[in-house]
Amino acid sequence: MTDYKKYVCTICGHIYDEAEGDPENGVAPGTRWEDVPMEWVCPDCGASKLDFVLEEDISD
Amino acid sequence: MSMQIVIVGSGIAGITCAEELLKLRPDMEVRVLTQETRGYYSRPLLSNGFTRDNIESTIILRSFETLAKSGIKLEAGVNVTAVKRDARAVVYQRSGDECVLSYNKLVLAQGSAALIPPPFRSQEALFNVLNSLSDLILLRRRRTALREAGDTPRWAIIGGGLIGCEVASDLVKAGDRVTLFHALPRLMERQLVEEDSATLLQVLQDSGVKVLLNCAVQGIQKKDDCLAVLADGETYPDFHTIIVACGFKPRITLAQSAGITTQRGIVVDDFLTTSDTSICAAGDAAESANGKLYAYVTPVRSQGLWLAQYLAGRTSTPWQPPFFKPKAKVHGFNAAHPYLF
Ligand SMILES: Cc1cc2nc3c(=O)[nH]c(=O)nc-3n(C[C@H](O)[C@H](O)[C@H](O)COP(=O)(O)OP(=O)(O)OC[C@H]3O[C@@H](n4cnc5c(N)ncnc54)[C@H](O)[C@@H]3O)c2cc1C
Ligand SMILES: [Zn+2]
Repeated sequence: MTDYKKYVCTICGHIYDEAEGDPENGVAPGTRWEDVPMEWVCPDCGASKLDFVLEEDISD
Repeated sequence: MSMQIVIVGSGIAGITCAEELLKLRPDMEVRVLTQETRGYYSRPLLSNGFTRDNIESTIILRSFETLAKSGIKLEAGVNVTAVKRDARAVVYQRSGDECVLSYNKLVLAQGSAALIPPPFRSQEALFNVLNSLSDLILLRRRRTALREAGDTPRWAIIGGGLIGCEVASDLVKAGDRVTLFHALPRLMERQLVEEDSATLLQVLQDSGVKVLLNCAVQGIQKKDDCLAVLADGETYPDFHTIIVACGFKPRITLAQSAGITTQRGIVVDDFLTTSDTSICAAGDAAESANGKLYAYVTPVRSQGLWLAQYLAGRTSTPWQPPFFKPKAKVHGFNAAHPYLF
């Protein structure tokens, strides 16, 4: 079973869902976070991959 | 007495630094002073703030109450007016009262204002800018009022740089009429190579934006109920709203008045430290030793994180700009070449 994870942009709140990928920007559905290229940027705000955190790590 | 760190500003630089410091050194006293009243919001989302209905709430990343609950001592709606370096204290205004707060280390994270070129400076009442959430809310209210009166809002955007192009694109997508004035022969000439500027022009025109290149605006005027733009000897009448988008201006006055070295921004060394070793600066307000202003979200956040490490005594290696890739949020536009920086 695949357990896809979600990563949240700390700058704008956009969510990268591994299950969905970001096909509009060349990242196929199912692409694991570690396989998303370093050049990929947040489609909503242009933040880099490094600005994303695992969703579970956000507490409130 | 625990070490007291005072941060001026609640943008990405200030809040990232405060939150990280709280994690690293809960023993330190971290205080944030900010003019902002609406919470910690995502500034990049401002430029797409017309096509998203619920933006006024979704743009808020953390309310000030949430930040307070997490342990950040923040005072909202206050204006820091002076830095008394000899006394190591800042002076600020809170609803008419003058308050004083002392610091061991001060972080100036005051960000930037919209740059207003000379022809417009005496005409504040005739134009708007899109630099903060309050600006966006004002412009959204105006749109709604016009639409409710059965009118299609007509906008003049002055400046075909990053923000001007983004806003033009979003307003036209929202169904409004938009004219974009740009003084130079191609759009976003500071960030894009010629070929990409041409693509961007095509995308904007196809979406319905009227783009006027080589069109230097000399002034603006009120004409009956509407606004007119004067450019190259011609009058372009009939706008409801004019947005000046001619770049940004680091907020340096506070530092300057305190005798801290400034140029375009507050000058910092590789340790984000100003000419006063008790005072650091980060984000849009800071200018690096190499003369660069890293006014994009990724380097600004990186500065906030690094500064927290540094102030917490956890690093002694200089801040290094991270890899980042600017991107214009123009609907339907993707640059084929890397952006210039
Ligand atoms: C419309 C728009 C779209 C953008 N889009 C992008 C994008 O897509 N990608 C990207 O990388 N970058 C983008 N940027 C740039 C990016 O938003 C900035 O680089 C970043 O927000 C800077 O953060 P900051 O913390 O330095 O400053 P700011 O966010 O400006 O925060 C400064 C804070 O200081 C406070 N302050 C200032 N002076 C005082 C005082 N005297 N007393 C009390 N408080 C004070 C202000 O109230 C504010 O809270 C955009 C900017 C704008 C305006
Ligand atoms: Zn984002």
